[in-house]
Amino acid sequence: MRRLARLPERWSNAPYAIVAMVALLLLAGIGIILQNEAAYRDFQAQETRVQADILSASVAAALDFGDRQAAQDAVDVIRVNRQVRAVGVYDEEGALIAGHGRDGAGPPPRFVEPLPPAGTAVTAIVPVTSRGERVGTVYLAADPEPLSRRLTRYLVIGLLVVMAALVVVVLGIGQSALRRANRELEERAGALVRANAELKVQVAERTKAEDQLRQAHKMQALGQLTGGIAHDFNNLLTVIQGSADMLRRPALAEDKRIRYAEAVVQASARAAALTGQLLAFARRQPLRPEIIELNELIRGMTDLLDRTLGERIEVKTILSDKTCAVEADRAQLESALLNIAVNARDAMPEGGVLTIRTATFEEGHAGRMIALSVSDSGFGMDEDTLGRAFEPFFTTKATGKGTGLGLSQVYGFASQSGGDVRIDSTPGEGTTVTLLLPCSGLAGRPREAADELAGPESRRSGRILLVEDNEEVGEFAETLLGELGHKVTRVRSGEAALRAALDDGFDAVFTDVVMPGMSGLELAEQLAQIRPQLPVILTTGYSDEIARTGAGGRPVILKPYRLETLAAAIDQELGRSDQ
Amino acid sequence: MSRAQLLLAFALLLGASPARAQPTEDAVKAAFLPRFARYVAWPAPALPTAGAPFQLCLIGRDPFGRLLDQAAASELIDGHSVAVRRIPSAGQAAGCHLAFVHGAAPTDTARLLLALRAQPVLTVTDGRAGPQRGMIHFTIVGGRVRFFIDEAAAAERGLSISSRLLALAAGVRQRR
Repeated sequence: MRRLARLPERWSNAPYAIVAMVALLLLAGIGIILQNEAAYRDFQAQETRVQADILSASVAAALDFGDRQAAQDAVDVIRVNRQVRAVGVYDEEGALIAGHGRDGAGPPPRFVEPLPPAGTAVTAIVPVTSRGERVGTVYLAADPEPLSRRLTRYLVIGLLVVMAALVVVVLGIGQSALRRANRELEERAGALVRANAELKVQVAERTKAEDQLRQAHKMQALGQLTGGIAHDFNNLLTVIQGSADMLRRPALAEDKRIRYAEAVVQASARAAALTGQLLAFARRQPLRPEIIELNELIRGMTDLLDRTLGERIEVKTILSDKTCAVEADRAQLESALLNIAVNARDAMPEGGVLTIRTATFEEGHAGRMIALSVSDSGFGMDEDTLGRAFEPFFTTKATGKGTGLGLSQVYGFASQSGGDVRIDSTPGEGTTVTLLLPCSGLAGRPREAADELAGPESRRSGRILLVEDNEEVGEFAETLLGELGHKVTRVRSGEAALRAALDDGFDAVFTDVVMPGMSGLELAEQLAQIRPQLPVILTTGYSDEIARTGAGGRPVILKPYRLETLAAAIDQELGRSDQ
Repeated sequence: MSRAQLLLAFALLLGASPARAQPTEDAVKAAFLPRFARYVAWPAPALPTAGAPFQLCLIGRDPFGRLLDQAAASELIDGHSVAVRRIPSAGQAAGCHLAFVHGAAPTDTARLLLALRAQPVLTVTDGRAGPQRGMIHFTIVGGRVRFFIDEAAAAERGLSISSRLLALAAGVRQRR
């Protein structure tokens, strides 16, 4: 680079050098020609003089003896030379004895010094001597070589000089072009370096800006999420707290007591649903996968959908008979379908058609899948809305109309089930949400008859080992189980539970999953070895472990649980161990 | 009389009428005679010593008189002047370089030439004296004084005649 930069400096005087060189060449050429011409003139003068000398020698005798004829003969010999323009032989007195002239030119009639100049001719005047005595004079005028012939001779030199000059000029032009190209190249390289540096700065700035933007988005989403949760929970908590306060009042009428208690239960149920949806979005809700025939599920839901969507909306189902069974959490799947349907309804305030389709779907290496698509004929979504559709608490609906968690649940559920969800939407034409679920190798089985809550009269009672590290939940559960007629022994860790299980004969173990030290699942595994007949019921609000490895076929009661749920589960297990 | 005057005379002779030709013919021949010496090379022993003149001998009759003396006086050949000797017979010809032989009768001329045969002398004869020819023999051609040259005879005596003179001759008997 540095070398490249120094090159033009070194050659910067080149144009002057070239001009000087060409001038020098031309001067040299002219010099050579002039020198040549001078030499030629000298030569011709000499030649003319030699001819005159010869003539003078040959006419000496003729002059001596006054023999004009002989003198003329000698002159005629000279005439052979075409360049000779005029010849004159004069006697001692200067009278013309013999002569010759070409093309009208002739020798002066008398020889009188000095002779008039003969134009361009080369003249020679030689005295004729005979034995040391001057007897006359010879005059000779010769034409120089014709100009054309001389030019031809000099043309060769001129041509050489011109060619040399041309070579120098061409070299100069080439060199100059090279220099210009070099300079251009250098400029471009410089520009490139500058552009590169600028680009780097821009990239760095952009990366920084993107980071900031991402951070801002994250904070915004987080804010929206926490705000949303806080808002919803505050509402529910207001109901719960208010109702609890009312319940604490003495002498509360029985009907009011029941109403407030019912309000607490309902608010808690909604709160539980809310956390369930949050977990679904986080893909961390405990799933209870089962083999489901999708077409069957949809058929089972059409009544519900008709009711939910209202009369203005016509529900059409186009179900493929080639579908396979899928392995998914039935409740979550139903919830997802319902969420999509409700969104579709809200997109069609004037009514329309909701089409539910099933089809097999194969893409890349994902394997065989089933596509459940729900299309509406509503107003669709714009680009921005589409981009944020899965964001939790993002909603286009009026306040109080939507939670902003519907599609979040759909997304979380699909991801957690090994599938995917896609949205195609054109503003003004409608939206299609497609839920993709992987096919299961197992055949679907008809849904078991609901083993819903059994009547209280059929309940069994037994000795229950309660394992719960949380003091309040533990106390609450102990009270509940006691209410249900069970004898409860409460321990606060897995290790303590193992020791207790060795000593006493319990009928069932009810354990929390997430505990410091030994987890509920580990406890269940170890109990299975020492007390294989002892039923274990797991409970959790959320567990990574269960979501990852499953519960090993054991019943899982999700927190928050209802009294009835707990009673039924324990009753079922006790019944099983009795058989 | 200068050479120019001689030549003038010669020129006049060329264009002159026959009535004036006779005396002028002698004048021309008189002018020519000493001048022949310029174009002849003698053998070294025969050349005149430094300061000595070339000797032009008139053997027999003298048709020129004063004309010849005048011509010889103006001649200078390589620093040598030309002296004119008039001798009656060949016996006195020793030292002569040129000899104008003009016997009273053609037989006399022949005899004189024969007598000079042994010497390196350039012999000159005149057609008017008879048919006998010396090395140079005057004649009249077309009204002009011309001469024949017998180069062979000259070479026999060791004389060398310049080619320039030969070029002016009306005829040349070349040496073999």
